[in-house]
Amino acid sequence: MAIIFKDVFYVYNKKTPLETEALNGVSLSIEKGSFTALVGRTGCGKSTLVQHINALLSPSKGEVEVDGWINSSDKKRRSKHVRELRKHVGLVFQFPEYQLFEETVEKDVAFAPKNFGQKDEEALKAAHAALGEVGLDESFYKRSPFELSGGEKRKVAIAGILAFHPDVLIVDEPTAGLDPLGAKSMMALFEQIHRSGVTVVLVTHDMNIVLSYADQVVVLDDGKVARITDPVSLFGDDIEAFSLETPLIYRLVKDLKARGAPLDLNAIKGLPSLADQLAALKGEKA
Amino acid sequence: MNQFSLGRYVPYDTFLHRLDPRDKILGVILLMVAIFLPISGWAMTFTMGGIAFLLTVVLLYCTRTSLLAILGSLKSMWLMVFFLLAIYILMPHSNPTLGVAWNLNGWIVYWDSFAEAGKIILRLIMMIELTMILTASTKPLDMTYAFEWYLTPLKIIRFPAHEVAMTISIALRFIPTLLDDTNRVMKAQESRGVDFKHGGLWKRLTALTSLIIPLFVSAFMRSEELANAMECRGYDPKAKRTRFRVLKWKWFDWASLLFVLAFFGFFLYVSISGWNVYALFGLVTL
Repeated sequence: MAIIFKDVFYVYNKKTPLETEALNGVSLSIEKGSFTALVGRTGCGKSTLVQHINALLSPSKGEVEVDGWINSSDKKRRSKHVRELRKHVGLVFQFPEYQLFEETVEKDVAFAPKNFGQKDEEALKAAHAALGEVGLDESFYKRSPFELSGGEKRKVAIAGILAFHPDVLIVDEPTAGLDPLGAKSMMALFEQIHRSGVTVVLVTHDMNIVLSYADQVVVLDDGKVARITDPVSLFGDDIEAFSLETPLIYRLVKDLKARGAPLDLNAIKGLPSLADQLAALKGEKA
Repeated sequence: MNQFSLGRYVPYDTFLHRLDPRDKILGVILLMVAIFLPISGWAMTFTMGGIAFLLTVVLLYCTRTSLLAILGSLKSMWLMVFFLLAIYILMPHSNPTLGVAWNLNGWIVYWDSFAEAGKIILRLIMMIELTMILTASTKPLDMTYAFEWYLTPLKIIRFPAHEVAMTISIALRFIPTLLDDTNRVMKAQESRGVDFKHGGLWKRLTALTSLIIPLFVSAFMRSEELANAMECRGYDPKAKRTRFRVLKWKWFDWASLLFVLAFFGFFLYVSISGWNVYALFGLVTL
Protein backbone atom coordinates (compact mmCIF):
# COMPACT_ATOMS: atom_id res chain seq x y z
CA MET A 1 0.00 0.00 0.00
CA ALA A 2 1.43 3.36 -0.93
CA ILE A 3 -1.15 5.79 0.41
CA ILE A 4 -3.68 5.13 3.15
CA PHE A 5 -6.30 7.59 4.44
CA LYS A 6 -7.80 6.62 7.79
CA ASP A 7 -11.01 8.47 8.59
CA VAL A 8 -9.64 11.88 7.64
CA PHE A 9 -11.50 15.08 8.44
CA TYR A 10 -10.40 18.53 7.37
CA VAL A 11 -11.99 21.83 8.37
CA TYR A 12 -11.04 25.19 6.86
CA ASN A 13 -11.08 28.33 9.06
CA LYS A 14 -11.82 26.42 12.20
CA LYS A 15 -13.77 28.25 14.91
CA THR A 16 -14.67 31.25 12.74
CA PRO A 17 -17.93 32.02 10.95
CA LEU A 18 -16.20 31.01 7.70
CA GLU A 19 -15.74 27.44 8.95
CA THR A 20 -16.22 24.87 6.17
CA GLU A 21 -15.77 21.15 6.27
CA ALA A 22 -13.83 20.03 3.23
CA LEU A 23 -13.21 16.40 4.15
CA ASN A 24 -15.73 14.45 6.12
CA GLY A 25 -14.30 11.12 7.17
CA VAL A 26 -12.35 9.97 4.14
CA SER A 27 -10.94 6.45 4.23
CA LEU A 28 -9.26 5.01 1.18
CA SER A 29 -6.11 3.31 0.04
CA ILE A 30 -4.12 3.71 -3.12
CA GLU A 31 -1.84 0.88 -4.09
CA LYS A 32 1.76 1.25 -5.15
CA GLY A 33 2.11 1.50 -8.90
CA SER A 34 -1.56 2.14 -9.53
CA PHE A 35 -3.12 4.87 -11.64
CA THR A 36 -5.90 6.38 -9.56
CA ALA A 37 -8.34 8.97 -10.79
CA LEU A 38 -9.98 11.29 -8.28
CA VAL A 39 -13.28 12.68 -9.52
CA GLY A 40 -16.28 14.58 -8.21
CA ARG A 41 -18.01 17.90 -8.62
CA THR A 42 -16.24 21.22 -8.06
CA GLY A 43 -15.73 21.90 -4.36
CA CYS A 44 -16.14 18.29 -3.24
CA GLY A 45 -12.71 18.26 -1.57
CA LYS A 46 -10.47 16.73 -4.24
CA SER A 47 -7.75 19.36 -4.02
CA THR A 48 -7.90 19.34 -0.22
CA LEU A 49 -7.50 15.57 -0.27
CA VAL A 50 -4.40 15.54 -2.47
CA GLN A 51 -2.74 18.23 -0.36
CA HIS A 52 -2.84 15.81 2.56
CA ILE A 53 -0.71 13.32 0.65
CA ASN A 54 2.41 15.48 0.77
CA ALA A 55 1.57 17.10 4.09
CA LEU A 56 0.81 20.58 2.82
CA LEU A 57 -2.27 20.18 4.96
CA SER A 58 -2.57 18.11 8.10
CA PRO A 59 -5.86 16.44 9.00
CA SER A 60 -8.11 18.05 11.60
CA LYS A 61 -8.90 14.49 12.62
CA GLY A 62 -7.61 11.16 11.38
CA GLU A 63 -4.40 10.09 9.73
CA VAL A 64 -2.76 9.76 6.34
CA GLU A 65 0.04 7.28 5.79
CA VAL A 66 2.31 7.46 2.76
CA ASP A 67 4.82 4.59 2.64
CA GLY A 68 5.31 4.73 6.37
CA TRP A 69 5.36 8.54 6.64
CA ILE A 70 2.53 9.53 8.94
CA ASN A 71 0.58 12.78 8.60
CA SER A 72 -1.72 12.84 11.58
CA SER A 73 -3.91 15.33 13.42
CA ASP A 74 -1.94 14.32 16.48
CA LYS A 75 1.31 16.25 16.32
CA LYS A 76 3.15 13.66 18.38
CA ARG A 77 2.34 10.89 15.92
CA ARG A 78 3.28 12.99 12.90
CA SER A 79 6.55 11.95 11.27
CA LYS A 80 9.45 14.39 11.18
CA HIS A 81 11.27 15.68 8.12
CA VAL A 82 8.53 16.71 5.80
CA ARG A 83 11.15 17.26 3.09
CA GLU A 84 11.70 13.51 2.82
CA LEU A 85 8.01 13.04 2.13
CA ARG A 86 7.87 15.84 -0.44
CA LYS A 87 10.85 14.38 -2.24
CA HIS A 88 8.90 11.16 -2.44
CA VAL A 89 5.56 12.67 -3.46
CA GLY A 90 5.46 15.14 -6.34
CA LEU A 91 2.39 17.35 -6.43
CA VAL A 92 1.54 19.32 -9.56
CA PHE A 93 -1.03 21.96 -8.73
CA GLN A 94 -3.82 23.14 -10.94
CA PHE A 95 -2.50 25.79 -13.36
CA PRO A 96 1.09 25.14 -12.26
CA GLU A 97 2.36 27.72 -14.75
CA TYR A 98 1.88 30.37 -12.06
CA GLN A 99 4.69 28.95 -9.95
CA LEU A 100 7.48 29.73 -12.43
CA PHE A 101 9.90 32.39 -11.30
CA GLU A 102 13.48 31.78 -12.48
CA GLU A 103 15.28 33.62 -15.28
CA THR A 104 15.63 30.60 -17.52
CA VAL A 105 13.59 27.47 -18.10
CA GLU A 106 16.39 25.10 -17.12
CA LYS A 107 17.02 26.96 -13.86
CA ASP A 108 13.36 26.80 -12.96
CA VAL A 109 13.17 23.07 -13.60
CA ALA A 110 16.38 22.51 -11.64
CA PHE A 111 14.97 24.44 -8.67
CA ALA A 112 13.25 21.50 -6.98
CA PRO A 113 16.12 18.98 -7.41
CA LYS A 114 18.45 21.58 -5.93
CA ASN A 115 16.10 22.10 -2.99
CA PHE A 116 16.12 18.37 -2.42
CA GLY A 117 19.87 18.38 -2.08
CA GLN A 118 21.26 17.71 -5.56
CA LYS A 119 24.39 19.52 -6.70
CA ASP A 120 23.98 22.28 -9.29
CA GLU A 121 25.29 20.19 -12.15
CA GLU A 122 23.28 17.10 -11.26
CA ALA A 123 20.17 19.23 -10.91
CA LEU A 124 20.75 20.79 -14.31
CA LYS A 125 21.19 17.36 -15.84
CA ALA A 126 17.97 16.18 -14.21
CA ALA A 127 16.27 19.30 -15.51
CA HIS A 128 17.38 18.64 -19.07
CA ALA A 129 16.16 15.06 -18.84
CA ALA A 130 12.79 16.16 -17.45
CA LEU A 131 12.40 18.81 -20.16
CA GLY A 132 13.09 16.11 -22.73
CA GLU A 133 10.39 13.96 -21.15
CA VAL A 134 7.75 16.68 -21.49
CA GLY A 135 8.87 17.34 -25.06
CA LEU A 136 10.78 20.60 -24.79
CA ASP A 137 14.11 20.56 -26.62
CA GLU A 138 17.41 22.36 -26.05
CA SER A 139 16.21 25.58 -27.65
CA PHE A 140 14.05 26.16 -24.57
CA TYR A 141 16.81 25.75 -21.96
CA LYS A 142 17.99 29.35 -21.92
CA ARG A 143 14.69 31.07 -22.61
CA SER A 144 12.75 32.95 -19.97
CA PRO A 145 9.74 30.96 -18.74
CA PHE A 146 7.64 34.12 -18.97
CA GLU A 147 7.91 34.41 -22.75
CA LEU A 148 6.53 30.91 -23.39
CA SER A 149 2.98 30.07 -24.39
CA GLY A 150 0.50 28.81 -21.78
CA GLY A 151 0.90 25.17 -22.77
CA GLU A 152 4.68 25.38 -22.81
CA LYS A 153 4.70 27.05 -19.41
CA ARG A 154 2.65 24.21 -18.02
CA LYS A 155 5.06 21.68 -19.47
CA VAL A 156 7.95 23.50 -17.81
CA ALA A 157 6.11 23.49 -14.49
CA ILE A 158 5.38 19.78 -14.76
CA ALA A 159 9.00 19.10 -15.71
CA GLY A 160 9.91 20.99 -12.53
CA ILE A 161 8.21 18.23 -10.52
CA LEU A 162 9.34 15.31 -12.70
CA ALA A 163 12.94 16.45 -12.37
CA PHE A 164 13.31 15.03 -8.86
CA HIS A 165 11.76 11.66 -9.82
CA PRO A 166 9.00 11.32 -7.23
CA ASP A 167 7.68 7.81 -6.53
CA VAL A 168 4.17 9.16 -6.24
CA LEU A 169 2.99 11.75 -8.73
CA ILE A 170 -0.15 13.72 -8.02
CA VAL A 171 -1.53 15.91 -10.78
CA ASP A 172 -4.45 18.26 -10.29
CA GLU A 173 -6.35 18.75 -13.57
CA PRO A 174 -3.32 18.85 -15.83
CA THR A 175 -5.35 19.11 -19.02
CA ALA A 176 -7.57 22.05 -17.98
CA GLY A 177 -7.36 24.79 -20.58
CA LEU A 178 -5.15 22.85 -23.00
CA ASP A 179 -6.06 22.22 -26.64
CA PRO A 180 -7.17 18.62 -27.39
CA LEU A 181 -3.85 17.60 -28.92
CA GLY A 182 -1.89 19.14 -26.06
CA ALA A 183 -4.12 17.37 -23.56
CA LYS A 184 -3.56 14.08 -25.34
CA SER A 185 0.21 14.35 -25.33
CA MET A 186 0.09 15.45 -21.69
CA MET A 187 -1.86 12.31 -20.77
CA ALA A 188 0.46 10.16 -22.85
CA LEU A 189 3.30 11.55 -20.75
CA PHE A 190 1.61 10.57 -17.48
CA GLU A 191 0.84 7.13 -18.89
CA GLN A 192 4.50 6.69 -19.72
CA ILE A 193 5.55 7.83 -16.26
CA HIS A 194 3.06 5.42 -14.74
CA ARG A 195 4.53 2.56 -16.79
CA SER A 196 7.95 3.31 -15.36
CA GLY A 197 6.55 2.30 -11.96
CA VAL A 198 5.36 5.61 -10.52
CA THR A 199 2.11 5.71 -8.58
CA VAL A 200 -0.08 8.30 -10.27
CA VAL A 201 -3.00 10.12 -8.67
CA LEU A 202 -4.91 12.23 -11.14
CA VAL A 203 -7.61 14.76 -10.31
CA THR A 204 -9.82 15.33 -13.32
CA HIS A 205 -13.27 16.17 -14.62
CA ASP A 206 -12.75 14.39 -17.94
CA MET A 207 -14.32 10.93 -17.82
CA ASN A 208 -12.78 9.97 -21.16
CA ILE A 209 -9.38 10.29 -19.51
CA VAL A 210 -10.60 8.25 -16.53
CA LEU A 211 -11.78 5.45 -18.82
CA SER A 212 -8.62 5.44 -20.91
CA TYR A 213 -5.93 5.64 -18.24
CA ALA A 214 -7.10 4.93 -14.71
CA ASP A 215 -7.29 1.52 -13.09
CA GLN A 216 -8.98 2.82 -9.95
CA VAL A 217 -11.49 5.64 -9.54
CA VAL A 218 -12.32 7.42 -6.32
CA VAL A 219 -15.53 9.44 -6.43
CA LEU A 220 -15.75 12.16 -3.82
CA ASP A 221 -19.04 13.75 -2.92
CA ASP A 222 -19.35 16.48 -0.31
CA GLY A 223 -16.11 15.53 1.41
CA LYS A 224 -16.96 11.83 1.60
CA VAL A 225 -15.86 8.90 -0.52
CA ALA A 226 -18.91 7.96 -2.58
CA ARG A 227 -17.34 5.15 -4.63
CA ILE A 228 -14.03 3.37 -4.99
CA THR A 229 -14.09 1.14 -8.01
CA ASP A 230 -12.65 0.56 -11.49
CA PRO A 231 -13.78 2.89 -14.30
CA VAL A 232 -15.91 0.40 -16.21
CA SER A 233 -18.03 -0.59 -13.22
CA LEU A 234 -18.34 3.07 -12.27
CA PHE A 235 -19.83 3.99 -15.62
CA GLY A 236 -22.22 1.06 -15.28
CA ASP A 237 -23.86 2.91 -12.37
CA ASP A 238 -25.91 6.03 -12.41
CA ILE A 239 -23.21 8.62 -11.93
CA GLU A 240 -25.08 11.79 -12.77
CA ALA A 241 -25.82 12.20 -9.07
CA PHE A 242 -22.11 13.02 -8.68
CA SER A 243 -22.30 15.39 -11.65
CA LEU A 244 -20.17 13.07 -13.77
CA GLU A 245 -20.72 12.27 -17.41
CA THR A 246 -20.46 8.82 -18.95
CA PRO A 247 -17.75 8.79 -21.65
CA LEU A 248 -18.98 8.80 -25.23
CA ILE A 249 -17.13 5.68 -26.24
CA TYR A 250 -18.58 3.75 -23.31
CA ARG A 251 -22.11 4.76 -24.32
CA LEU A 252 -21.45 3.82 -27.93
CA VAL A 253 -20.20 0.36 -27.01
CA LYS A 254 -23.11 -0.14 -24.62
CA ASP A 255 -25.58 0.74 -27.39
CA LEU A 256 -23.78 -1.53 -29.82
CA LYS A 257 -23.98 -4.35 -27.28
CA ALA A 258 -27.67 -3.72 -26.79
CA ARG A 259 -28.09 -4.23 -30.52
CA GLY A 260 -26.31 -7.53 -30.35
CA ALA A 261 -22.67 -6.76 -31.06
CA PRO A 262 -20.54 -9.22 -29.06
CA LEU A 263 -18.16 -6.60 -27.64
CA ASP A 264 -16.40 -6.78 -24.30
CA LEU A 265 -17.24 -3.65 -22.29
CA ASN A 266 -14.48 -4.31 -19.78
CA ALA A 267 -11.77 -4.15 -22.40
CA ILE A 268 -12.84 -0.81 -23.83
CA LYS A 269 -10.40 1.93 -22.88
CA GLY A 270 -10.73 4.23 -25.83
CA LEU A 271 -10.90 4.31 -29.60
CA PRO A 272 -7.86 2.05 -30.26
CA SER A 273 -9.19 -0.76 -28.07
CA LEU A 274 -12.61 -0.51 -29.75
CA ALA A 275 -10.94 -0.70 -33.14
CA ASP A 276 -9.01 -3.79 -32.02
CA GLN A 277 -12.18 -5.52 -30.92
CA LEU A 278 -13.98 -4.63 -34.12
CA ALA A 279 -11.06 -5.92 -36.17
CA ALA A 280 -11.09 -9.15 -34.17
CA LEU A 281 -14.84 -9.53 -34.79
CA LYS A 282 -14.36 -8.95 -38.50
CA GLY A 283 -11.59 -11.59 -38.48
CA GLU A 284 -13.92 -14.12 -36.88
CA LYS A 285 -16.57 -13.56 -39.53
CA ALA A 286 -14.22 -13.70 -42.47
CA MET B 1 -1.59 30.81 7.69
CA ASN B 2 -3.10 32.14 10.90
CA GLN B 3 -1.11 35.34 10.80
CA PHE B 4 -2.95 36.32 7.63
CA SER B 5 -6.36 36.16 9.20
CA LEU B 6 -5.41 39.04 11.49
CA GLY B 7 -6.94 42.29 10.32
CA ARG B 8 -9.38 40.59 8.01
CA TYR B 9 -13.08 41.32 8.10
CA VAL B 10 -14.88 38.76 10.26
CA PRO B 11 -18.58 38.45 9.44
CA TYR B 12 -20.21 38.43 12.86
CA ASP B 13 -23.31 40.46 13.60
CA THR B 14 -22.32 42.51 16.63
CA PHE B 15 -23.37 46.10 17.35
CA LEU B 16 -19.92 47.20 16.15
CA HIS B 17 -20.57 45.51 12.82
CA ARG B 18 -23.86 47.36 12.48
CA LEU B 19 -22.44 50.79 13.19
CA ASP B 20 -22.14 53.16 10.25
CA PRO B 21 -18.61 52.92 8.80
CA ARG B 22 -18.31 56.73 8.75
CA ASP B 23 -18.98 56.72 12.47
CA LYS B 24 -16.46 53.97 13.05
CA ILE B 25 -13.68 55.69 11.12
CA LEU B 26 -14.23 59.00 12.90
CA GLY B 27 -14.51 57.24 16.24
CA VAL B 28 -11.29 55.30 15.77
CA ILE B 29 -9.42 58.44 14.75
CA LEU B 30 -10.74 60.35 17.78
CA LEU B 31 -9.82 57.52 20.12
CA MET B 32 -6.35 57.30 18.63
CA VAL B 33 -5.77 61.01 19.10
CA ALA B 34 -7.09 60.76 22.65
CA ILE B 35 -4.64 57.96 23.41
CA PHE B 36 -1.71 60.02 22.17
CA LEU B 37 -2.57 63.21 24.08
CA PRO B 38 0.21 64.16 26.47
CA ILE B 39 -0.81 64.00 30.10
CA SER B 40 1.25 65.44 32.92
CA GLY B 41 2.38 63.25 35.77
CA TRP B 42 3.06 59.53 35.65
CA ALA B 43 0.15 58.55 37.88
CA MET B 44 -2.39 60.29 35.67
CA THR B 45 -0.68 59.12 32.45
CA PHE B 46 -1.06 55.51 33.45
CA THR B 47 -4.53 55.96 34.94
CA MET B 48 -5.81 57.45 31.71
CA GLY B 49 -3.87 54.86 29.70
CA GLY B 50 -5.50 52.16 31.76
CA ILE B 51 -8.98 53.57 31.14
CA ALA B 52 -8.36 53.73 27.41
CA PHE B 53 -6.89 50.24 27.41
CA LEU B 54 -9.96 48.93 29.21
CA LEU B 55 -12.21 50.52 26.61
CA THR B 56 -10.25 49.07 23.69
CA VAL B 57 -10.25 45.62 25.27
CA VAL B 58 -14.02 45.78 25.79
CA LEU B 59 -14.55 46.88 22.19
CA LEU B 60 -12.19 44.21 20.95
CA TYR B 61 -14.10 41.64 22.94
CA CYS B 62 -17.28 42.89 21.26
CA THR B 63 -15.84 42.10 17.82
CA ARG B 64 -14.88 38.67 19.19
CA THR B 65 -11.24 39.04 18.26
CA SER B 66 -9.10 37.63 21.00
CA LEU B 67 -6.54 39.94 22.57
CA LEU B 68 -4.21 37.00 23.06
CA ALA B 69 -4.21 36.30 19.33
CA ILE B 70 -3.14 39.88 18.71
CA LEU B 71 -0.43 39.79 21.36
CA GLY B 72 0.72 36.43 20.05
CA SER B 73 1.02 37.76 16.53
CA LEU B 74 3.10 40.65 17.76
CA LYS B 75 5.97 38.48 18.87
CA SER B 76 8.22 40.52 16.67
CA MET B 77 7.29 43.55 18.78
CA TRP B 78 9.36 42.22 21.63
CA LEU B 79 12.43 43.20 19.70
CA MET B 80 11.05 46.71 19.50
CA VAL B 81 10.29 46.70 23.22
CA PHE B 82 13.91 45.93 24.00
CA PHE B 83 15.06 48.49 21.47
CA LEU B 84 12.85 51.16 23.01
CA LEU B 85 14.01 50.28 26.49
CA ALA B 86 17.62 50.46 25.38
CA ILE B 87 17.12 53.87 23.80
CA TYR B 88 15.35 55.32 26.81
CA ILE B 89 17.98 53.91 29.14
CA LEU B 90 20.83 55.32 27.09
CA MET B 91 19.21 58.71 26.71
CA PRO B 92 19.51 61.08 29.66
CA HIS B 93 16.14 61.98 31.10
CA SER B 94 15.29 65.67 31.35
CA ASN B 95 13.42 65.91 34.64
CA PRO B 96 13.16 62.57 36.36
CA THR B 97 10.54 62.20 39.08
CA LEU B 98 10.54 58.48 39.80
CA GLY B 99 13.97 58.20 41.30
CA VAL B 100 17.13 56.41 40.35
CA ALA B 101 16.98 52.82 39.19
CA TRP B 102 20.68 52.31 39.34
CA ASN B 103 23.87 54.31 39.39
CA LEU B 104 26.89 52.61 37.88
CA ASN B 105 29.95 54.82 38.14
CA GLY B 106 28.05 57.89 37.13
CA TRP B 107 25.83 56.17 34.58
CA ILE B 108 22.49 57.09 36.12
CA VAL B 109 19.32 55.44 34.90
CA TYR B 110 15.98 56.65 36.23
CA TRP B 111 12.80 54.62 36.59
CA ASP B 112 11.26 57.23 34.29
CA SER B 113 12.99 55.57 31.36
CA PHE B 114 11.12 52.35 32.01
CA ALA B 115 7.84 54.19 32.50
CA GLU B 116 8.38 56.06 29.23
CA ALA B 117 8.99 52.83 27.31
CA GLY B 118 5.96 51.23 28.98
CA LYS B 119 3.79 54.18 27.97
CA ILE B 120 4.85 53.95 24.33
CA ILE B 121 4.27 50.20 24.18
CA LEU B 122 0.84 50.53 25.77
CA ARG B 123 -0.07 53.18 23.22
CA LEU B 124 1.15 51.03 20.34
CA ILE B 125 -0.86 48.04 21.51
CA MET B 126 -3.96 50.21 21.84
CA MET B 127 -3.43 51.60 18.36
CA ILE B 128 -3.19 48.11 16.90
CA GLU B 129 -6.28 47.07 18.83
CA LEU B 130 -8.24 50.01 17.47
CA THR B 131 -7.32 49.36 13.84
CA MET B 132 -8.15 45.71 14.42
CA ILE B 133 -11.57 46.65 15.76
CA LEU B 134 -12.20 48.76 12.69
CA THR B 135 -11.06 46.24 10.09
CA ALA B 136 -12.60 43.21 11.80
CA SER B 137 -16.03 44.79 12.00
CA THR B 138 -16.21 46.78 8.76
CA LYS B 139 -16.53 45.40 5.26
CA PRO B 140 -13.77 46.83 3.05
CA LEU B 141 -16.39 48.10 0.63
CA ASP B 142 -18.25 49.96 3.37
CA MET B 143 -14.94 51.44 4.45
CA THR B 144 -14.34 52.87 0.99
CA TYR B 145 -17.87 54.27 0.86
CA ALA B 146 -17.08 56.05 4.08
CA PHE B 147 -13.76 57.33 2.71
CA GLU B 148 -15.52 58.62 -0.37
CA TRP B 149 -18.10 60.34 1.77
CA TYR B 150 -15.38 62.10 3.74
CA LEU B 151 -13.56 63.09 0.56
CA THR B 152 -16.65 64.42 -1.20
CA PRO B 153 -16.30 68.03 0.06
CA LEU B 154 -12.88 68.11 -1.62
CA LYS B 155 -14.59 67.80 -4.99
CA ILE B 156 -14.99 71.57 -4.85
CA ILE B 157 -11.26 71.95 -5.35
CA ARG B 158 -11.42 69.31 -8.12
CA PHE B 159 -10.04 66.56 -5.97
CA PRO B 160 -10.91 63.23 -7.68
CA ALA B 161 -12.76 61.81 -4.67
CA HIS B 162 -14.52 59.06 -6.55
CA GLU B 163 -11.40 57.91 -8.37
CA VAL B 164 -9.39 57.78 -5.18
CA ALA B 165 -12.17 55.87 -3.44
CA MET B 166 -12.35 53.44 -6.35
CA THR B 167 -8.60 52.88 -6.28
CA ILE B 168 -8.76 52.18 -2.56
CA SER B 169 -11.71 49.85 -2.97
CA ILE B 170 -9.96 47.89 -5.73
CA ALA B 171 -6.84 47.62 -3.59
CA LEU B 172 -8.88 46.39 -0.64
CA ARG B 173 -10.90 44.06 -2.82
CA PHE B 174 -7.74 42.34 -4.02
CA ILE B 175 -6.15 41.78 -0.62
CA PRO B 176 -7.96 38.47 -0.01
CA THR B 177 -7.33 37.43 -3.61
CA LEU B 178 -3.64 38.11 -3.28
CA LEU B 179 -3.58 36.28 0.04
CA ASP B 180 -5.13 33.27 -1.65
CA ASP B 181 -2.54 33.55 -4.40
CA THR B 182 0.21 33.75 -1.80
CA ASN B 183 -1.14 30.66 -0.15
CA ARG B 184 -1.33 28.79 -3.42
CA VAL B 185 2.14 29.74 -4.63
CA MET B 186 3.59 28.96 -1.20
CA LYS B 187 2.12 25.49 -1.31
CA ALA B 188 3.29 24.94 -4.86
CA GLN B 189 6.83 25.98 -3.96
CA GLU B 190 6.74 23.92 -0.77
CA SER B 191 5.93 20.95 -2.99
CA ARG B 192 9.12 21.80 -4.84
CA GLY B 193 11.07 21.49 -1.62
CA VAL B 194 11.17 25.13 -0.53
CA ASP B 195 11.26 25.69 3.20
CA PHE B 196 9.92 29.12 4.11
CA LYS B 197 10.38 28.71 7.83
CA HIS B 198 13.84 27.29 8.33
CA GLY B 199 17.29 27.71 6.87
CA GLY B 200 19.87 30.45 6.65
CA LEU B 201 19.42 33.96 5.40
CA TRP B 202 20.45 33.19 1.80
CA LYS B 203 18.18 30.14 1.61
CA ARG B 204 15.27 32.14 2.91
CA LEU B 205 15.92 34.92 0.44
CA THR B 206 15.73 32.55 -2.53
CA ALA B 207 12.65 31.00 -0.95
CA LEU B 208 11.11 34.45 -0.80
CA THR B 209 11.92 35.28 -4.45
CA SER B 210 10.22 32.04 -5.48
CA LEU B 211 7.13 33.44 -3.78
CA ILE B 212 7.33 37.11 -4.70
CA ILE B 213 8.00 36.82 -8.44
CA PRO B 214 4.99 34.60 -9.20
CA LEU B 215 2.90 36.92 -7.04
CA PHE B 216 3.99 39.98 -9.00
CA VAL B 217 3.29 38.20 -12.26
CA SER B 218 -0.21 37.24 -11.21
CA ALA B 219 -0.91 40.68 -9.73
CA PHE B 220 0.04 42.39 -13.00
CA MET B 221 -2.02 39.91 -14.96
CA ARG B 222 -5.02 40.48 -12.75
CA SER B 223 -4.73 44.24 -13.01
CA GLU B 224 -4.64 44.04 -16.78
CA GLU B 225 -7.65 41.74 -16.86
CA LEU B 226 -9.53 44.03 -14.52
CA ALA B 227 -8.70 47.09 -16.59
CA ASN B 228 -9.90 45.33 -19.73
CA ALA B 229 -13.08 44.15 -18.07
CA MET B 230 -13.84 47.66 -16.82
CA GLU B 231 -13.22 49.17 -20.22
CA CYS B 232 -15.41 46.53 -21.89
CA ARG B 233 -18.27 47.65 -19.70
CA GLY B 234 -17.68 51.28 -20.60
CA TYR B 235 -16.47 52.37 -17.21
CA ASP B 236 -16.26 56.14 -16.94
CA PRO B 237 -14.96 57.50 -13.66
CA LYS B 238 -16.79 60.77 -14.17
CA ALA B 239 -20.18 59.23 -14.77
CA LYS B 240 -22.91 59.85 -12.25
CA ARG B 241 -23.90 56.63 -10.55
CA THR B 242 -26.32 55.41 -7.98
CA ARG B 243 -25.47 52.92 -5.32
CA PHE B 244 -26.98 49.66 -4.24
CA ARG B 245 -25.95 49.96 -0.62
CA VAL B 246 -26.76 53.31 0.87
CA LEU B 247 -25.16 54.27 4.16
CA LYS B 248 -27.74 55.16 6.77
CA TRP B 249 -26.95 57.08 9.92
CA LYS B 250 -29.08 55.78 12.79
CA TRP B 251 -29.70 56.95 16.35
CA PHE B 252 -27.23 54.35 17.52
CA ASP B 253 -24.50 56.01 15.48
CA TRP B 254 -25.27 59.33 17.16
CA ALA B 255 -25.14 57.68 20.55
CA SER B 256 -21.81 55.99 19.94
CA LEU B 257 -20.35 59.14 18.39
CA LEU B 258 -21.45 61.14 21.43
CA PHE B 259 -19.84 58.59 23.69
CA VAL B 260 -16.57 58.77 21.78
CA LEU B 261 -16.71 62.57 21.76
CA ALA B 262 -17.27 62.60 25.51
CA PHE B 263 -14.35 60.24 25.95
CA PHE B 264 -12.19 62.42 23.72
CA GLY B 265 -13.31 65.56 25.51
CA PHE B 266 -12.45 64.03 28.86
CA PHE B 267 -8.94 63.16 27.68
CA LEU B 268 -8.51 66.61 26.14
CA TYR B 269 -9.61 68.27 29.38
CA VAL B 270 -7.24 66.18 31.46
CA SER B 271 -4.43 66.89 29.04
CA ILE B 272 -4.91 70.65 28.94
CA SER B 273 -5.84 71.36 32.54
CA GLY B 274 -3.48 68.85 34.10
CA TRP B 275 -6.32 67.68 36.30
CA ASN B 276 -5.29 65.09 38.83
CA VAL B 277 -7.91 62.83 40.32
CA TYR B 278 -5.66 61.78 43.18
CA ALA B 279 -5.35 65.37 44.34
CA LEU B 280 -9.08 65.29 45.14
CA PHE B 281 -8.34 62.78 47.86
CA GLY B 282 -5.39 64.78 49.06
CA LEU B 283 -2.86 62.30 47.69
CA VAL B 284 0.40 63.57 46.38
CA THR B 285 1.45 61.80 43.24
CA LEU B 286 4.35 61.90 40.86
